[in-house]
Amino acid sequence: MTNPQTKVQDRVQVKKEVRKIKNLPTVPGIVAKISRMVENPETSAAEVGRLISQDQVLSAKVLRMANSAFFGMSRKISSISQALVILGFEVVKGLVLTSSVFDMIQKSMAGLWEHSIGCAAASGAVATLLGREDAEEILVAGLLHDLGKVVLALNLPEEMRLIVEKVASGHILFYEAENQLLDFDHSELGQWLAEHWNLPESLAEPMRLHHRPEKAVLKPECTAIVHIADIIIRAKGFGNGGDMLVPPISMAAWEMLGLKKTDFLPILEILEPKLSNLVDITSIN
Amino acid sequence: MRRIPIDKAVPGQILAEKLTRHDGVLLAGQGSEITEGLLRMLSRMNIDTVVIEEEESRTAEQVMEDFRDFVSQLEARFVRVTTSPVLMALKKTMLFMAQKERDLTLALIDKPNSSTEASERPPADEPLGSA
Repeated sequence: MTNPQTKVQDRVQVKKEVRKIKNLPTVPGIVAKISRMVENPETSAAEVGRLISQDQVLSAKVLRMANSAFFGMSRKISSISQALVILGFEVVKGLVLTSSVFDMIQKSMAGLWEHSIGCAAASGAVATLLGREDAEEILVAGLLHDLGKVVLALNLPEEMRLIVEKVASGHILFYEAENQLLDFDHSELGQWLAEHWNLPESLAEPMRLHHRPEKAVLKPECTAIVHIADIIIRAKGFGNGGDMLVPPISMAAWEMLGLKKTDFLPILEILEPKLSNLVDITSIN
Repeated sequence: MRRIPIDKAVPGQILAEKLTRHDGVLLAGQGSEITEGLLRMLSRMNIDTVVIEEEESRTAEQVMEDFRDFVSQLEARFVRVTTSPVLMALKKTMLFMAQKERDLTLALIDKPNSSTEASERPPADEPLGSA
C-alpha cells in the first residue's frame, strides 16, 4: 500500500541519491588474503591459522564466537588452527568476516548486531532440528544475512532516516519501506556487496533472497532456513532488524524443508538457552 | 539464569548449567551448589564465568505483570499475521512456553519457605496444552 503522505520530492530525491553508492566498503584485507590462500590446494590449515593469528584482536574475537553458545562445543577451542579443523574453513572465514565487519554492523543500526547473532542462533537451531551436517555454515549465513542494511545505513544515511521514519509511522516492514522509497531493498545491496567481496553462494544467496527464498537455486535449503530463522527471531523480539514485525512466511520454503507446525517447540527449546548465553558476544570488542 | 564473572559468584548460589574443565571433564553438575572449595578450584583452572540460577525476587504480581507485557508485545509483533496457520502456530507455541515459564516461576514463589505472599497468587490463565 502506498502512503499518500509520501512526498513526491522525497522519492525523486531518494532515487537520485542511490547513485551515491559508488564505493562499497572494501573487503577486509584479511578475508581477501584467506580467500586467495584457500584457492590454492596446497594451503594447509596451519598456514591459514598462522595468518589469522597474526592479528591478535581478530583471533580473540573469532575464538570468542567459536566458543560461544552458537556452536555448543563441549571442548574449548583454544587456537585458530584448532577452530579450522573443528569448524572448517568456510565457517572460520565467516567468523573472520563477521569479526572484521563487527564495528560496521554495530555502528550502522541499533539492535542489528543482536538481530544478526539471534538469527544465526535460530538458523543453527533449525538446521540442528533438521539434522543438517552443514549447520555451522548455515549459522554463519544467518549471521551475515542483513549486511545489505549496513551498506544502506553507512552510505545513504539520509535515505535511512526516511525509511526509519516510514517504519515508525505504521505497521510496515523495513524492506517494504525500502522498496517504496528506493525501489530496491537491502537484499539487493547485500547481493551487490557479496559479488564485490566474492563471497561464497552459501552466504550470498541467503543475503540476496532471505525474503524470497523460493527463488533460490544454488543454496535453496540454506536460504530457506535463514528465511525461517529470521521470522523466528523477529517473533521472539530479540534485537532489532529495523522493524518489530513478524514478516510473511514463504510456504514454498517451509514445505521444501519438510517442517511441521509442531517443530516450533523443539526449535525454540534449542534456541532459548543459546540466546540467554549469547550475551557474552553481544559486545565482542 | 545468568552468566556472571567468577569474582561475583558466592557460595550458596545454584549452578544453572554444568561446569566443565576446558578439556570437557565435568567439575560440577547442573543444579549443584557453589561452595568455597569449588570457587578456589575454578580460579586455579582459569575458568572466569559461571551460569547461576536467577534468584526469584519478583512477587507473584510482578510475574503476572511481566507476562501481560510479554503477551502485548507478542501481539504487537504478530499484528500483521492474520491468516497464516504456520505463523499462528509459532505465536501459539511462544505463548505456551511463556505460560509454562510463568507457572513454574509462580510455583517457586508459592513455596512456603521462600515467600509469605502465596495467597496473593492470582489465578493462572487457561493453559494452551499439557507440558
